[in-house]
Amino acid sequence: MARKKSKFSLLMWLIFSGISGGGVTGYLKPNIPIIGPLIAKFTDKGQNLTSGSGNLLTESANGLLGTPSSGSYGGSAVAGRLASARQPSNGQQQGAIQPTTAAGSQGNGNLLIASFNIQVLGQSKISKPGMKELLAHVIRQFDLVAIQEVRAKADNVIPDLVTTVNSNGSRYNFVIGPRLGRSNSKEQYTYVFNTNTVEHDPSSVGTVNDPKDLLHREPFVTRFRARTQSPAQAFTFWMVNIHTDPDEVPEEVDALADVFQVMQKARADEDDVILLGDLNASEKQLGRLGKLPGMQWTVSGVTTNTRKNKAYDNIMFQGQATREYTGRWGVYDLERNLGLSREQALQVSDHLPVWAEFRVWEAPPATSPVGRPSLYN
Amino acid sequence: MNSATTLQQLLHGSLSERATAAEHLAQQGSEAAYAACELTAACGDAGAISDWAVAALEQLGPPPLSALESLVSLTHSEDPLTVYWAVTLLGRAGPDAAVHEQVLVTLLQHSKDLAVQEKAAWSLGRMQANSLGATQALQQASQSPEARLSRVAAKSLQQTQT
Repeated sequence: MARKKSKFSLLMWLIFSGISGGGVTGYLKPNIPIIGPLIAKFTDKGQNLTSGSGNLLTESANGLLGTPSSGSYGGSAVAGRLASARQPSNGQQQGAIQPTTAAGSQGNGNLLIASFNIQVLGQSKISKPGMKELLAHVIRQFDLVAIQEVRAKADNVIPDLVTTVNSNGSRYNFVIGPRLGRSNSKEQYTYVFNTNTVEHDPSSVGTVNDPKDLLHREPFVTRFRARTQSPAQAFTFWMVNIHTDPDEVPEEVDALADVFQVMQKARADEDDVILLGDLNASEKQLGRLGKLPGMQWTVSGVTTNTRKNKAYDNIMFQGQATREYTGRWGVYDLERNLGLSREQALQVSDHLPVWAEFRVWEAPPATSPVGRPSLYN
Repeated sequence: MNSATTLQQLLHGSLSERATAAEHLAQQGSEAAYAACELTAACGDAGAISDWAVAALEQLGPPPLSALESLVSLTHSEDPLTVYWAVTLLGRAGPDAAVHEQVLVTLLQHSKDLAVQEKAAWSLGRMQANSLGATQALQQASQSPEARLSRVAAKSLQQTQT
């Protein structure tokens, strides 16, 4: 079995550096094990559907979901999303949600960003009756979802899933990374995002280069911007998607500390880095990553797996830089929100989505002068 | 599906039954440890079965001691993914599996699969294998031009010396 890793030529690396504006400086320090991201090959982007079947269920799905005419689908997508996101999970909810109107983005002007390890997301999973529709419903609860554990030999799985997401008129798209892993068993990372509320920067995308092979599945990074009527003031951010090797967690979270710091410097005009995924580490096991100055993680004190005995999924960022975070976060309980049994929920995944809310407007620098009007007091 | 039925299906079922059994085990986390050997062997099975088996093994934790002999046998499999996971599980067993260190030494020195060599080095460290043969193999591997193999072997040497 030959180990294959995604390697790109020096030429491609230089091309990426030029396109992204990240430049070379900061990427070649010998004491940083992780050099800056390289561009990766992407599959075709998803296509919108203009119509979908009226009933997304089949009988064999046992009524896992409501019909499209139910309150959770129709009317305001924001209301539906907030209703779902508002569901308390293990007592973590951060107070009442007050929907507001806001210029630009969805109802309350905020983005919901999620991470979801969908266990063995491949052809066999999405072929199960009702499964695509159920996953589509979950994805629609969020503006942007970082997904781990795409395990598919063919390239149709995510496009098919996004087509289902869009079957109700939604306009989601996706970007997917290469197949990664040291053994013959490979995984991909993907981001699925609502193009009505989130814009993707196709010039800032890639898989973190890892010449010392510190990480089993190197993070897939890319940049997004909240879609607003004032792009210059919109929240922009890097997303760093990760699924660590459960046998090498201490080493990998240490390496992720370096990844995070490299990403903080990847663009002089970008201070927001959101690292998220299945870390296979609880908040007490974050090692050097958790000890980076000002490092903050959203999920705390609750479990994030379907069996409710582990807390391995999280969303992390530097609190002073990413003051766009509103403080609202949650774990999307598949059983409670979708009326599933434990067994049914486990068929979806052994992990639950975790999410965090961010404002759509870029926060002024923490050192902004006193007296400047700010949304971030 | 009880454990006996699950194992029966995984070993002898149809393609879809084997996939269903492997998927069921992947949902059980460490509670699927009783199927450690069967899952390892299933890594060489067809597509979805192998995928679910790997997913189960990632979350399995250490194997039961009763599985160690069978795992050693699986290190001789012709399927590289099976060997990889057999070696991994032996490493997860820690010092309890140290009596089997020689098979890992052999793999470290002679496997043509780099990922298997790296896991063998890793596992020897987890076992705290400090025999002369293990130490020499790790020392040699720590000089490898392959960065990860060299690093893992060096770390395992430290672990075996403590």
